[in-house]
Amino acid sequence: MRAYLSVFRMRLRMETHYRGAVLGGILCQIFFGLILVALYRTLYMGKPQERPFAHVAAYVWLQQAFFRMLLSSDADLMDKIRTGAIAYDLCRPLDLYGFYYARIMAQKLMGSLLRGIPMLVFACLLPAGWGLCAPASPQALLAALPALLLGLMCVCAMENITMAFTMRTLDPRGIQALMNLAMMILCGNVLPLTLFPDRWQRVLALLPYAQMLDAPIRLYTGEYGPERAGEVLLIQAVWTGALILLGASLWRRNRKRLLVQGG
Amino acid sequence: MMGVKTLRLYLSSMGILLKSQWQYPASFLMQTLAQLVMEGGEMLAVVLLVDRFDHLNQWSGGDLYFFFGLMSVTFYLTECFGRGITGQFPSMVRMGHLDTLLVRPRGILTQVMCSAVDPRRVACIAVGAVSLALGSRMAQVHWTLPKALLLLESVFCGFFLILGLFLTEAILCIHSVKSVEIANTLTYGGRSACQYPVDAFPRPLRVLFTVAAPFALVMHVPASRILEKPLFPWPTWTAWLCPLAGPAVFGLMAFLFSRAMRSYRSAGS
Repeated sequence: MRAYLSVFRMRLRMETHYRGAVLGGILCQIFFGLILVALYRTLYMGKPQERPFAHVAAYVWLQQAFFRMLLSSDADLMDKIRTGAIAYDLCRPLDLYGFYYARIMAQKLMGSLLRGIPMLVFACLLPAGWGLCAPASPQALLAALPALLLGLMCVCAMENITMAFTMRTLDPRGIQALMNLAMMILCGNVLPLTLFPDRWQRVLALLPYAQMLDAPIRLYTGEYGPERAGEVLLIQAVWTGALILLGASLWRRNRKRLLVQGG
Repeated sequence: MMGVKTLRLYLSSMGILLKSQWQYPASFLMQTLAQLVMEGGEMLAVVLLVDRFDHLNQWSGGDLYFFFGLMSVTFYLTECFGRGITGQFPSMVRMGHLDTLLVRPRGILTQVMCSAVDPRRVACIAVGAVSLALGSRMAQVHWTLPKALLLLESVFCGFFLILGLFLTEAILCIHSVKSVEIANTLTYGGRSACQYPVDAFPRPLRVLFTVAAPFALVMHVPASRILEKPLFPWPTWTAWLCPLAGPAVFGLMAFLFSRAMRSYRSAGS
């Protein structure tokens, strides 16, 4: 366990080194957030909805703030798969799945904290109706934080499944692109899941993708009341566990049929 | 005479590049499918918004599909045939690969335009075309020859507008190798915002997309004329004039780029 922790810590530190890229990313994400909030505001004014607009704005800002958590992958691992250098990793006295799980988790955690915190501060400073509203209640915030952590673990498990497929096809652009696109749509990044037709939402909320960011956001805005927090966290934990098991077994099978490219 | 030669060079480069892309058909089809899913997802967002809200200001669902389709077709035609500029060019400047272009007897922009094509974008263009057709049908557009020509002009000028905006990133790269993602706000941000008519946005964004990155002049003014719901209370002939802002932006950026090249010092070794 110590080994995985130190991999995790090393990766955390490495992520803090690219500050220029972080600043550019923040400005870009803020701009996208402003565009989306402005668009949904205009739509809301034309036809007010049952759900308060503040929830939609909060949804947009939280999605933009944690964008990096959803969409970032381990570039080193991808290179290693392509060049065959992954063979060296087999010499490590560690479980490969755990090793890369710790790495990607550190990368996603630090990447999204560095971008997310300044963005959320900015979003809180915006005038009411534009920015991020306060959580529905202190309990809502308390429930949203562990849900966000479980969401992170769920994203990492999904990322490792995508990587397992990449190990088979070697070309990251096909299957990986498809899986990431499915994620962006079904996580609520392209359009908040709360704006999907109400009938669809009942199904979408049960998919693993909704456990990543949608569940924590709905706990934050109070759409899922604190009394449902236990149930929501349980669904998240079950999906996370299932995805980790699936991913680990795919990696084990890949290991058996590993053919190393290169001379 | 020079223009014809350049065009022939461009076309033959495109031929070679397309042939090379087709060498791996399975990978190509997979990536094209991914593009289809991506743009399909974007269109799904518009469809679901129309389903929930019916309209955006004075624009009906059909109008919104029309605007979305116009943006998709134009943006991805640019990404397809202008891939040299929209793709790796900024990183070529950053990494110093631009040096190899400097020793050849052709203009830099010509060489860059000839260096890449991205046929996978056909999938996105197809989604855009479907949306455009669907929108014009639902909005009951009476097509006439001038309207069709106006649409073509808008797409043509939009191509140059988007190329020009992508050039800003290359220009910034010459002056600073630091992160220049900020230029993405104008290109990708402009696409995301201006797939909806510009009057959906508050004043500062409206000004930005009318004056600085004039998507509104190049796309929304002619589109709203075709839909017969003018965006601005301007005389009809302005719809023909406004899209010219696109080539103007490209010309300005190309000029600034050649100016910036004077202070270019290779970043590579």
